Amino acid sequence: MSVLAYGVVAWLFLIGIYGVVTSRNLIHLVVCLSVAQSATDILLLEIGYRSGGHAPVFVDLPAHPGPAVDAVMQALALTDVVVGAAVTGLLLALAVQVHKRAGTLDPDKLRATRD
Amino acid sequence: MSRRARLMLFAVAAAGLAATLGAGLAGLPSFGSQISAYAQMLNRLAPQQRHVTDVVSAISFDYRGIDTLFEEFILLAAVAGISVLLRPLSDESRQLPEDKAPDRTIPPPSPAVWLLAVFLSSLLVLTGIETVTHGQLTPGGGFQGGVVLASAFYVVYLGTNYVTVERFQPAPLLEASDGVGASGYVLIGLLGLFAGASFLSNVVGLGVTGNLISGGTIPLLNLVVGVEVAGSFAILASEFLDQTAVIRTRQR
Amino acid sequence: MSLLVSASAVIPASVAVPLGGAALLAGFSRLLPRWARDLIAIAVALATTTLTLILMDASAGRPMIYWFSGWRPSAGMVIGVDYAVGPLGAGMASLAGVLASAALVYCWRHFDSARGRHHALVLIFLAGSVDFCLTGDLFNLFVAFELVAVTAFALTGYNAGYPGPLQGAINFAVTNSLAGMSVLMGIGFLYARTGSLNLAQIGQALAGRHADGLVVVAFALLAGGFLVKAAVVPFHFWLPDAYGSAPTPVCVLFAGVMSELGLFAVIRVWDTVFSGLAGGVGPRMRAVLLGFGILTAVVGAVMALAQHHLKRMLAFVTMSHLGIYLIGAGLLTPLGLTGASLLVIGDGLAKSALFLGVGVLQHQRASVSETKLRGRGRGLAVTGVTIVTGALVLADLPPFVSSAGHALLVDAADQAGLPWMEIVIALSVIASSGAVLRAAARIWLGWGDIESSDADTGTADDPGEEAEGRSDTAGAEQTQDRRERSGQQRRVPLTMVLPPLALLAIGLGLGLTSGIEEHAAVAAAAFSDRAAYAAAVLGTHIGSITSGGRIVVPASPAASAGGVLTDLGQVLAALCVAGIALDRRAWRLRRALTTGTGWLRRLHSGLVGDQVTWLAAGLALLAALGEWALH
Repeated sequence: MSVLAYGVVAWLFLIGIYGVVTSRNLIHLVVCLSVAQSATDILLLEIGYRSGGHAPVFVDLPAHPGPAVDAVMQALALTDVVVGAAVTGLLLALAVQVHKRAGTLDPDKLRATRD
Repeated sequence: MSRRARLMLFAVAAAGLAATLGAGLAGLPSFGSQISAYAQMLNRLAPQQRHVTDVVSAISFDYRGIDTLFEEFILLAAVAGISVLLRPLSDESRQLPEDKAPDRTIPPPSPAVWLLAVFLSSLLVLTGIETVTHGQLTPGGGFQGGVVLASAFYVVYLGTNYVTVERFQPAPLLEASDGVGASGYVLIGLLGLFAGASFLSNVVGLGVTGNLISGGTIPLLNLVVGVEVAGSFAILASEFLDQTAVIRTRQR
Repeated sequence: MSLLVSASAVIPASVAVPLGGAALLAGFSRLLPRWARDLIAIAVALATTTLTLILMDASAGRPMIYWFSGWRPSAGMVIGVDYAVGPLGAGMASLAGVLASAALVYCWRHFDSARGRHHALVLIFLAGSVDFCLTGDLFNLFVAFELVAVTAFALTGYNAGYPGPLQGAINFAVTNSLAGMSVLMGIGFLYARTGSLNLAQIGQALAGRHADGLVVVAFALLAGGFLVKAAVVPFHFWLPDAYGSAPTPVCVLFAGVMSELGLFAVIRVWDTVFSGLAGGVGPRMRAVLLGFGILTAVVGAVMALAQHHLKRMLAFVTMSHLGIYLIGAGLLTPLGLTGASLLVIGDGLAKSALFLGVGVLQHQRASVSETKLRGRGRGLAVTGVTIVTGALVLADLPPFVSSAGHALLVDAADQAGLPWMEIVIALSVIASSGAVLRAAARIWLGWGDIESSDADTGTADDPGEEAEGRSDTAGAEQTQDRRERSGQQRRVPLTMVLPPLALLAIGLGLGLTSGIEEHAAVAAAAFSDRAAYAAAVLGTHIGSITSGGRIVVPASPAASAGGVLTDLGQVLAALCVAGIALDRRAWRLRRALTTGTGWLRRLHSGLVGDQVTWLAAGLALLAALGEWALH
């Protein structure tokens, strides 16, 4: 169970980076970056998970509620989601302008900064 | 690098990175076996110390409130950045969409679409307000509720047209709400300083656990964050909409 | 005592002030006239600088620990987030404040600030930098890292009408957000092992133990992410793209502060978290860090010589000097850190002055191509002096403070048994300063061939500055060219000419201040002492401010006559390099160098896919090296 649960993290991160490296479209690249980002969120949440645990919300609990999961990791994951949204928005705005100014969305065709 | 060279280098790099992550993940405690003593302590103490039932909110806005201050400003900075990146440049101008044929206006939306938009946006506003204000009781809070509120903006646009949206949600108002939300967080933090305690201390009365008004500064911070996030995402939507609907290259 | 009491409010104020100012500018800019926006931004930046300078003074010798939201540690466990203010961190934050103020003064009136949003982003950048330097919490460090990054991405793409800045911003954003993900994963691993997010507590939990796979990987991910920000080879490919196309005031912040922050984080995390690991990890980690430092210094210097695009050249100069700071800090001794910190300050001021000088050239002559500007420096004498002086300061011209830092760094390398390091550093510095001096000679004296046989990049048909006439697109630049050709030259505004001179003057003043080396040594010693830091943070239970343990001050040698001679020698050698580079008779040498380094220049393709591949390879390499060093 551990192998599968943690293996997902490594898989998502690597496949996301692979997508970025081989991307031919900036929008696709941004989405691949989100995939890699989700790997980090999953890692945090899995570190904070406890078998049989309930959410760290102490209202309307059953009679014998059992342990709660890690709330700190959830707060961290929340922050990471906001950061990811911010970067995604910026990259999409850049993609819109690149399409207008360079006429292409293919990152391999952008030749404006090279030696 | 040629594409082939890049892929070959990446294959080697990915293998190394996979081995690295594998080694790190193998050192983690078994999945679901334990949580840290820090987290256990907070789960035990937060409801008593802060009179809230949602511990994640307590951590975000109280125990680690300074992190959330910077997180809010990340969003502010991103939206300010996006509005800078998508601003009309010197060879562009803003032209409101209009029907180019004479004696015609843009046709109004169909009644079905309009009704659905009214219904959905009202629902979204209510849900958003509920999520923002109940952040200290149930999962939710300023960030989540703010996004829901902002989506009402999108739905209004979908159900009507750009001109209507611009009239009812003018950019200065959205920017002001952004600014108010962000500076509001800083001001609430300064309250703690003025009360002689630390920055962002919870110095307002804590109330009774389970009530709507409980947790001291936590619901207040939820509120300002909700205002800021709603304003931010609405600005975001309007900036991208401007690019497609309004900003045109200047005709020479 | 009264200073301590008021200092307790200064610490949060140092971030609350710039954040509040930025929120004001972002939200209410439509209500303010142009001069008010500029003035508010400058005032807020100066206020922040003052606050951080106060902190630097108040924390000398004893770290000031501040607990946010009033949550002090209980039962030995840290609950809240703290700032651990020391003179090194506060000094770094002050540098950020000074540079931000200079950049904002430069923007006065003649810079289209997009209705104040540019200034808001700069102030948020400043707040993030201050948080980065003062924090004692690992996750807060990550949040500050992302805040600085997000503002930087937006500011890089500011001239959104040209493909160059857009591509630079994309490369920057993709690589650095992957770096942020790497850092966050490292934080997750450390939390899973130690159950804490506080630097001191994590360090205590790891101290005296042997590093296993998880700890090694956590180090590699954390250090790798921060080294991307610091633009260390092979994580550096985004830097010339971003720095070469960002607007001038933004470049000032980037070159003077942002890259150095990455390095600051690596050393901070090493000193507080990993330095206590058992098994004699210090010497091997030193070898790893020095290797990266030397590689970065050399690659940066070589690439700088090959550039004709002034901003890209300065970007590589920045990178090369960053390699030198990494060498200094990577010696993992307080003396090395002292030298590196003085160099950071002195070089930071000089690099910023150089960028501001190039900005004036761009504003007045609408180009940043060394070859296109040949001989057109006439009429911009002050800027010429600024650029030449800046280049000489980077070559460690005494008595500027960078020469003191250089002397201490060389001493530290000697003490660590690596006397040859001095030669490596000297060669890099001579080459990078020589490149700038060559450009200055070509532009102001008209030396060099008319048609240069060196490869011209073509990317130097550069975006015009965000001038008042809205020259933010390719179309507008033609209007500016026409205006210029018709002979309408504008006078250079004082607010553009004075800030770089002021920065250089500060560097000179600091260099002439007696005892600066002692202060820096005390700061570095405090920064490097893990056990004392942990005691200061975790032993706190009385009030918000407390004093730390005793810090042992190492003896710091004053700049000797030998050191001054070496520095002057470096300066002379840099001038010679510039001369040789322009001499008609040396064309064979130049051509050999060009062909010899062609492979290196082709690697800098500007393609984001390549850059991410190098990033992944670098992370894997760092993990392997970390395994050797820490296990």
